[in-house]
Amino acid sequence: MIGNVIKYERDNIDTDVIIPGTYLKIHDYNELATHAMEGLDPEFPSKVKDGDFIVAGKNFGCGSSREHAPIALSTCGIKAVIAISFARIFYRNSVDGAFLLPIEVDDETYRKIANSDQLEINIEKNEIKNITKNETYAMKPFSEIIAKIIAAGGLFKYKK
Amino acid sequence: MSETLFEKIWNSHVVVERENEPSLIYIDRHLIHEVTSPQAFDGLRANHRTVRRRDLTVATIDHNVPTTDRSLPMIDETSSIQIKTLEKNCKDFGIKLFGINDPNQGIVHVIGPQLGITLPGSTIVCGDSHTSTQGAFGAFAFGIGTSEVEHTLATQTLWLEKPKTFEILATGKRKNPFAVTSKDIILSIIKQIGTDGGTGHVLEYRGDAISDLSMEQRMTICNMSIEAGSRAGLIAPDEKTFDYLNNRKYTPKNYDELVDDWKNNLISDANSKFDKSFTIDVNKIEPQVSWGTNPAMVSDVTGKIPTPEEFGQNNEIQIESAKKALLYMDLKPDTPIVEISIDRVFIGSCTNARLEDLKDAAEIVKGKAINSNVCAMVVPGSQMVKLEAEKLGLDKIFKDANFEWRESGCSMCLGMNPDILKPGERCASTSNRNFEGRQGSGGRTHLVSPVMAAASAIAGHFVDVREWC
Repeated sequence: MIGNVIKYERDNIDTDVIIPGTYLKIHDYNELATHAMEGLDPEFPSKVKDGDFIVAGKNFGCGSSREHAPIALSTCGIKAVIAISFARIFYRNSVDGAFLLPIEVDDETYRKIANSDQLEINIEKNEIKNITKNETYAMKPFSEIIAKIIAAGGLFKYKK
Repeated sequence: MSETLFEKIWNSHVVVERENEPSLIYIDRHLIHEVTSPQAFDGLRANHRTVRRRDLTVATIDHNVPTTDRSLPMIDETSSIQIKTLEKNCKDFGIKLFGINDPNQGIVHVIGPQLGITLPGSTIVCGDSHTSTQGAFGAFAFGIGTSEVEHTLATQTLWLEKPKTFEILATGKRKNPFAVTSKDIILSIIKQIGTDGGTGHVLEYRGDAISDLSMEQRMTICNMSIEAGSRAGLIAPDEKTFDYLNNRKYTPKNYDELVDDWKNNLISDANSKFDKSFTIDVNKIEPQVSWGTNPAMVSDVTGKIPTPEEFGQNNEIQIESAKKALLYMDLKPDTPIVEISIDRVFIGSCTNARLEDLKDAAEIVKGKAINSNVCAMVVPGSQMVKLEAEKLGLDKIFKDANFEWRESGCSMCLGMNPDILKPGERCASTSNRNFEGRQGSGGRTHLVSPVMAAASAIAGHFVDVREWC
């Protein structure tokens, strides 16, 4: 999986900035996606390209249980969020619906990855290759359980 | 073997457990609202599934509802569609709905306990992160996403990884229990353990300072567990719990038998081990006011806005976060909290809109009037709370002081109904999240207790509410 980085140097990027409450009435995913990250970066929907990755600090996705958050990012084309840590409901929602990969990295890796870097994520090897900088980083492996749900393509497919 | 309360509840609900697999957990109660359920019902239809246990599923409408006159047509068409969608889904799938004009309508986490739907020792889910509120009754209650809502509707079970346990031991006695509330206790806890301190853990609040609290005060504590990163927080049930739930609309018929069973079983064993532990002495807690854009950015009311460096303590990201928060909040370091003027006051939300919250706020307000620069509103958590408050004449006290007295709903907690802040407005709010834009784009939220909100409405700025009572 190869994509470019959109980096936000912030901890606690909450679900209210990922998709503000006023848009939770929207049923259509494509329309929802036009408001992704609006609370933090209104330019996001116009600059994001299919296959891109978000990189951020600690506790990404804290706050509400709204699945609209990973859905809005995923519909915009985001394939993975790389963060130092995740709030658990966001993490779980991302994996359950196979919307995007929540990938945890250490502080040093977070610091080394810059905005616009091109990365290749290899979840079999638990590795992130920074093509721009010609560096390789370790990602924290998924727990066995999460890896199985990801491999199956979501929660419902996992237990079919 | 010694077990914690959480482990006992978990073990009694395991349907399937295998090594290195998630556990399949039985769900006793599923609460639904209009925002996080539409796609779940779409999924059921697409896959020709039915609702497995309609009798264990109840719905209400809370997030979208206007809190003004409900006899008028709704102006916001998308909100109206979302509400009608839930009404149709409940009708099609045979689910009990407390609709917009029902006397039991209210914020989902407020009506669950009020109706006796919330029971000790049970597992409770809702597509809403503040489901943790109901952990105050010794239930494992947690928020889920829409995929899990669909899974619960279809199977009455969920695949879960077993969370770890985290003891929050609250000792001592509050110096002024009227002015230093359970909201101040939970804000102090979050300030110290951080917004991700409880991630992956179920919090169990214990100790004399917790037993000392009423059920409604305990709900405020458990409600904000998610603000410390925990999907669930719980408190062992006791006589106060059993009294609260007795004779409610849906209290089970064999209630006395259940109480006997709960008394014997729903407590962490003396030698049980928690994965983490944190102790707080409530004797040292002052009234709290949040100054930043997450619920750990909190100060004592006698304190000052910290400098980013004081707040961040050598952590670059934290220092940067504090700078951004102060910019968004339009606040300068070293400003005394009591010198911050406010434009709006919101007394409401699943955190603080129950009867005791309104009674305490009314005690402060009685015979006074709000500052002429402030607009203030009281939004009861449910129609039942509203009715009880009106029986006590609280509505009159608030209205006489120029507060608006509204119909029940989530209101200004989350900026998805007509009750929102205008850009730049500063609000003393009894809600749970001070995120950027949470109460409306550009709005500035300060999280406080109901008595602090009430006193600030009158003064026009934050005050040490201990001097008001």
